[in-house]
Amino acid sequence: MNIKYWLGLYAVLIRSSVRSRMQYKLNFMLGTVLAAIIQIAEFLMIAIVLNKFGAVKGWSLHEVGYLFAVMTLSKTLYRTFASDVHHLETYLTTGDLDQLLTRPVPILMGLMSQNIRLMPGELLQGGTILIWTIHGLMDSGQITWVVVPYTLLAIVTGAVILFSIGLATAAVGFWITRINELQTLTEDAAQTAVRYPLVLYPSWLRSILLIVIPVGFVNYVPSLFILRGEYGSWLLYGTALIAGICLALSLKLWKFGLTRYQSTGS
Amino acid sequence: MRESEAMIEVRGLHKSFRTPVVKEGRFAGLRTLFTREYRLKEAVKDINFTIRKGDFVGYIGPNGAGKSTTIKMLTGILHPSAGNVKINGFDPHQQRRQVAKRLGVVFGQRSQLWWDLPVKDSYDILAHMYKVSAAEKERRLGELAELLDLKEFWLTPVRKLSLGQRMRADIAASMLHDPDVLFLDEPTIGLDVSAKRSIRGFLKQLNREYGKTILLTTHDMDDIEQLCDRVMVINHGQLSYEGTIVQLRDKIGLPTRIKITFHGPVQLPVPKGLSLPIELGLDEKHTFRIIRADGCEVHIEANRQQVKAMDILRVVGSWGEVADIHMEEPDFEDVIHRVY
Repeated sequence: MNIKYWLGLYAVLIRSSVRSRMQYKLNFMLGTVLAAIIQIAEFLMIAIVLNKFGAVKGWSLHEVGYLFAVMTLSKTLYRTFASDVHHLETYLTTGDLDQLLTRPVPILMGLMSQNIRLMPGELLQGGTILIWTIHGLMDSGQITWVVVPYTLLAIVTGAVILFSIGLATAAVGFWITRINELQTLTEDAAQTAVRYPLVLYPSWLRSILLIVIPVGFVNYVPSLFILRGEYGSWLLYGTALIAGICLALSLKLWKFGLTRYQSTGS
Repeated sequence: MRESEAMIEVRGLHKSFRTPVVKEGRFAGLRTLFTREYRLKEAVKDINFTIRKGDFVGYIGPNGAGKSTTIKMLTGILHPSAGNVKINGFDPHQQRRQVAKRLGVVFGQRSQLWWDLPVKDSYDILAHMYKVSAAEKERRLGELAELLDLKEFWLTPVRKLSLGQRMRADIAASMLHDPDVLFLDEPTIGLDVSAKRSIRGFLKQLNREYGKTILLTTHDMDDIEQLCDRVMVINHGQLSYEGTIVQLRDKIGLPTRIKITFHGPVQLPVPKGLSLPIELGLDEKHTFRIIRADGCEVHIEANRQQVKAMDILRVVGSWGEVADIHMEEPDFEDVIHRVY
């Protein structure tokens, strides 16, 4: 294993991917702008609801904004670096995975370096909301600047969890090929659900969002300690541990799934 | 001697695909959704073969016979349901990356290049991937560019290449890291005559001069006839023939067609009351057939495994004064058609 070789190769692949994308400039710019507008519209929805009703089960607007921002940033991190893990279905139905399999590069690395997506819209939106909420919460004296490194840690572990969920869902595609709807459930719906504090939901749903599809660990669980000082800092390390376990399990499923790859007729 | 080393070894190879049974009749779609019935399609059944270093082997068979499935198992894309594959002693599934380093793969139907980037960029990326040094890359690309005439589209994005250009670019890409083994899945599909010829010339050179082991699938029998030392025929997932092209012709035994033109009248030895075609014999075992006769022209079919051309000519000479003889070997396409 030669770290320098792999990093160099990854950089080359990423650069090629970005250059490929830049061939279609209008598409790229339009995509970026639209994504940003959609993101802001989504947050405005939540903001309007919260403004109308004040706090949700004891969670203030700033706190909910924090949940929202951490989720957005984790997701942005995951989807920037692993865009095509989410789009594996295309590779399965067209047989495009074939060409990654004939190269002396780990499949996942091959996949993750294809079609890398720059998501400045999401980054800007998530970053702005995060700064605004942290600023607001610090003004009210609820938190101090130490939340900043904690928050960065939570974003990274969150991205790992989202990646694991995405990878496991994609791996199921080796058996069932079409995974669009499954992704809607395990990724889109689940991620949207935890933009609100989990206390809002009945306990069975809360259990699902913490155990079956552990998206709750992306923002809700860390924020219990980061914003409210509940439990203790071990909550963060526990979250990191869970992220590690999720990653290991999803990689195992992925490896096993690859042996079931059927390609397509030609 | 290195020449006799086994490069590709395939033992008891099986691949079956599971597809849900599609229901018919009322609510067919819904019932298919909830069915637990699967049909097991055996794409490849118990295939065994060995390809030695430096061999150029053609792998042929009708559509859906299992050619591509076999190639995909050899290149590590598909995992076999049973059996095993060894490429230069390595298993393409357990040691996928080691094997991939020494392998060149070209799929005629699908480009291996970076679709939106200039051809040249793909080579830079591949050189990095296969750890080809800059000097080595320049040297090989120089050679490949000349042999395959790459310079004219060097800076064109791959998506804008013509099929012939793309195939040449793809073959060059598969050779950049100087692999030992080359797998070509229908490399001449859809190409015009001159593009086919230039690709064949290049492949021949790779095999004869550089000693590359090549396995080629194709539907173009000229590819096989001009390039391959050996052919393997697969049908319904099983190898139905393996051997040299000459042996294959002999085994099938299609007749050679002979057209004889005479000066003046012909006395055919046709007994009264019989019409053409008729069977004639030198003796019990050595026979040939007169197919038809129009004026001075007589058409004969003979299996050259049974009867020598000279013997036929001796007989024919007694019918009249021979002006011209035209012999046509059985068309290879026809031979293959018989094997299928």
